[in-house]
Amino acid sequence: MSSLNAKNKDAFHELASEKSGSKGPKARLRNCARPMAPGTAVGGCAFDGAKVALQPITDVAHLIHAPLACEGNSWDNRGAASSGPTLWRTSFTTDLTEIDIVMGHSERKLFKAIREIKDGYAPAAIFVYSTCVTAMIGDDIDVVCKRATDEFALPVVPVNAPGFVGSKNLGNKLAGEALLKHVIGTVEPDEPGLCDINILGEFNLSGEFWQVKPLLDKLGVRVRACIPGDARYLQVASAHRSRAAMTVCSTAFVALARKMQERWDIPFFEGSFYGISGTSEALRRIADLLVKKGADPSLLHRTEILVAEEEEKVWKRLEAYRPRLEGKRVLLNTGGVKSWSVVHALMEIGMEIVGTSVKKSTLEDRERVKQTLKEENLVFESMSPRELFSLLLERKADIMLSGGRTQYIALKAKLPWLDINQERHHAYAGYEGMVQLARQIDLAIHNPMWPQVREPAPWEQALVV
Amino acid sequence: MPQSAEKALDHAPLFCEPEYRQMLAEKKLNFECPHPDQVVSDQREFTKSWKYREKNLARQALVVNPAKACQPLGAVFAAAGFERTMSFVHGSQGCVAYYRSHLSRHFKEPSSVVSSSMTEDAAVFGGLKNMVDGLANTYKLYNPKMIAVSTTCMAEVIGDDLHGFIENAKSEGSVPRDFDVPFAHTPAFVGSHVDGYDSMVKGVLENFWKGTARTEATATINIIPGFDGFCVGNNRELKRLLDLMQVNYMFIQDASDQFDTPSDGNFRMYDGGTSINDVKAALNAEWTLSLQYYNTRKTLDYCRDVGQAATSFHYPLGVEATDELLMVISEISGREIPEAIRLERGRLIDAMADSQAWLYGKKYAIYGDPDFVYAMARFIMETGGEPTHCLATNGTSAWEDEMKELLASSPFGKNAQVWPGKDLWALRSLLFTEPVDLLIGNSYGKYLERDTGTPLVRLMFPIFDRHHHHRFPLMGYQGGLRLLTAILDKIFDNLDRETMHAGVTDYSYDLTR
Ligand code: SF4
Ligand code: SF4
Repeated sequence: MSSLNAKNKDAFHELASEKSGSKGPKARLRNCARPMAPGTAVGGCAFDGAKVALQPITDVAHLIHAPLACEGNSWDNRGAASSGPTLWRTSFTTDLTEIDIVMGHSERKLFKAIREIKDGYAPAAIFVYSTCVTAMIGDDIDVVCKRATDEFALPVVPVNAPGFVGSKNLGNKLAGEALLKHVIGTVEPDEPGLCDINILGEFNLSGEFWQVKPLLDKLGVRVRACIPGDARYLQVASAHRSRAAMTVCSTAFVALARKMQERWDIPFFEGSFYGISGTSEALRRIADLLVKKGADPSLLHRTEILVAEEEEKVWKRLEAYRPRLEGKRVLLNTGGVKSWSVVHALMEIGMEIVGTSVKKSTLEDRERVKQTLKEENLVFESMSPRELFSLLLERKADIMLSGGRTQYIALKAKLPWLDINQERHHAYAGYEGMVQLARQIDLAIHNPMWPQVREPAPWEQALVV
Repeated sequence: MPQSAEKALDHAPLFCEPEYRQMLAEKKLNFECPHPDQVVSDQREFTKSWKYREKNLARQALVVNPAKACQPLGAVFAAAGFERTMSFVHGSQGCVAYYRSHLSRHFKEPSSVVSSSMTEDAAVFGGLKNMVDGLANTYKLYNPKMIAVSTTCMAEVIGDDLHGFIENAKSEGSVPRDFDVPFAHTPAFVGSHVDGYDSMVKGVLENFWKGTARTEATATINIIPGFDGFCVGNNRELKRLLDLMQVNYMFIQDASDQFDTPSDGNFRMYDGGTSINDVKAALNAEWTLSLQYYNTRKTLDYCRDVGQAATSFHYPLGVEATDELLMVISEISGREIPEAIRLERGRLIDAMADSQAWLYGKKYAIYGDPDFVYAMARFIMETGGEPTHCLATNGTSAWEDEMKELLASSPFGKNAQVWPGKDLWALRSLLFTEPVDLLIGNSYGKYLERDTGTPLVRLMFPIFDRHHHHRFPLMGYQGGLRLLTAILDKIFDNLDRETMHAGVTDYSYDLTR
């Protein structure tokens, strides 16, 4: 466990040295990597975070080295979209049993499992994830992966993020570390271009990045690697030849972006594809960075034209929804980038924000929430189901936007709800996504079922009269 | 762009538009280094072959697409069936997030579970402090009547002693001395969720029964339903039957209300469940019946140890199994099976007779928990179907023997094969090499449905991609009707799809069937 310790210290250190914000490293650490208090509500573990951050790399086999159920309970539970391979959705695990653990067979079993994957599936690479048990019994997955890499002439990448080292958040970062250490920079692309970019921390949930990509195509900007959403191993491995980068979910990959800047001089910015001005700003900054790095300056002009055209179109399309949504009250219970970007997007179409949570948000995210919302007391940390329930009623929300695990809290409060986390079935990114978001909120709020749900049964009404 | 405000496309059709197709195809060409189409299709064909099947079934170190969950998940489900009980999982926090989403996605209800959030420090120094703080926080924050403690692998590997820890926590004032904190060790590298269920139910019983002598046995029957994704419909249906028979009974572990709260503007962290008083009183019951054997082995032994008579079933589905259940209940309670139930039985048989021609000789693959697979195979043979592949990732060799005995009891089981310990990727090979007409299992089967073209009837746990199935019973004669209908619907829907091409296949596209 000592090597593991050192690695985590590194990641913590990285967390602590995140730039901007006025608080010292200690406070920052508390914010980002603080473990949950025992006996309160719970979020995912570091392993979960690492898997989430890497699994959408679609032509890779993701092998979970663990007793069965770290994977058995959780396989295929996220809605990232792939335009090709299905391998990433196939669940691979070593299913360690008591015998393996007691007899010390687990490393050998892992090696065998890697061979069985290689023989049966011929993947572009294999990612091996350690978990609580395998880390605790001292399995050295680095060594096993190294040996497998040599023997099978296939990249076998260790991902050291056992659950107990910390939050999902930390796991995201450790995933970035694994890419940096073992993947990025290992393949040289044939024809690097002046307009190649990386998008980091974009998961392509419900295929939403595909709504943004055509815009970049129009500008002649090539996405060399979108990590992890719908990525291929080769794209990730050659990502170091991009000219600029954007981080979408900063929580996940901002550290990766920073290190890529240090190592390969790839400038980056933190942005979002949610909302109209968010999308426009992102396009402008991409263009700006590329031009600074030597792309044809006409890109700036072309971007302005595209932005103007698209904005005009999208505002026109949103007109249909505005009168139906203006002044409606929204409570957001989400985290990370969405705690400010979606807020901003909704305010743009005239909705009122009555609260937003900042769990899993970086300090930068938090700053932005503050800037956007201005009012401090609208911002809350994660809360218990009952508190959330009361908040919805107190603030007279018309709708809650959150992830699946809290959806039933809204529904029990007889309030409409919309999924904006990983299980959502609609794509909300880019200009297209804004229209879709408005539409889905409209549908949710104006569903004729709500009066039915809210009014007492007719016989009870009769009694009242 | 194909989108417009008047006609906003959902994501499913949207990305089928030509613009998007082209964009995605280009990505493949530029970044995937794709193998030639021929190679890909050869490979695909190879994975359907007997040769591949042999390789696939010989896998030893690797599990691909498992159909089981781990012990603590079962324990958490079990705890949800007791009054105002908060589950507390001692270990690292990630596992718990999985259990919550699992239950929530299946039942479409909130699911509350807390964890002691062990971290690396705890791994080194043990998790006592986490237990002390965790119990205190849980008690304060969630106001439970009881906290049920189970463990993840992590706590088990360290070897944390729950009994000692809980005693310690009580001495430190985390919860009052007399507050109930039943516990179960649930190492996930042993067994599966069904074993975790067993341990937790036993833990609760022990908590209340230990050191208490049985007074004279009362003429009640304890009923333990077992881990059951359909508990909402099933438990209610069974209660209805038992009420009709006027039997004195007590459900031990009843999650039917917890996972089916009404929408009335109240937030219930807890609802329903067996009350603590009832659990205490249950010690004096004459009998304990378990509806699922593999879920309750240890618990039943314990019930026998305290002096109760005990017996178990394999998830009573269909005619014979329901008959058996009711007869046993009738015998031990001395109550007659009333006319109303006799009529229900007659109706199920009538329905089976109406449809028999469509079911006779159909081949099935069934996978899931051991008791369920057993029950389903039995029901299918009653309808004249053949359970060709019976697979349980958490099935043991004892289960295998029992299955074989069952299958040998009917001519329809003659060609059936039993697959203990195998995963869904193995089933894929089985389906390609020895195809069947229908597949029965949980939502994960949809990939098998897609790959092999075998229609899937969704039953059991988890069902994530369909709504409300769990609200309807599978057990009892009413449940039999629902099962029968589900299978027939699938058969007819499929037949319609196959025969709907005008002038080509529609000579069998019939209105009356
Ligand atoms: S560590 Fe053990 S208890 Fe936790 S999810 Fe994995 S298998 Fe289950
Ligand atoms: S055992 Fe550890 S790695 Fe596995 S799910 Fe639980 S917390 Fe995560």
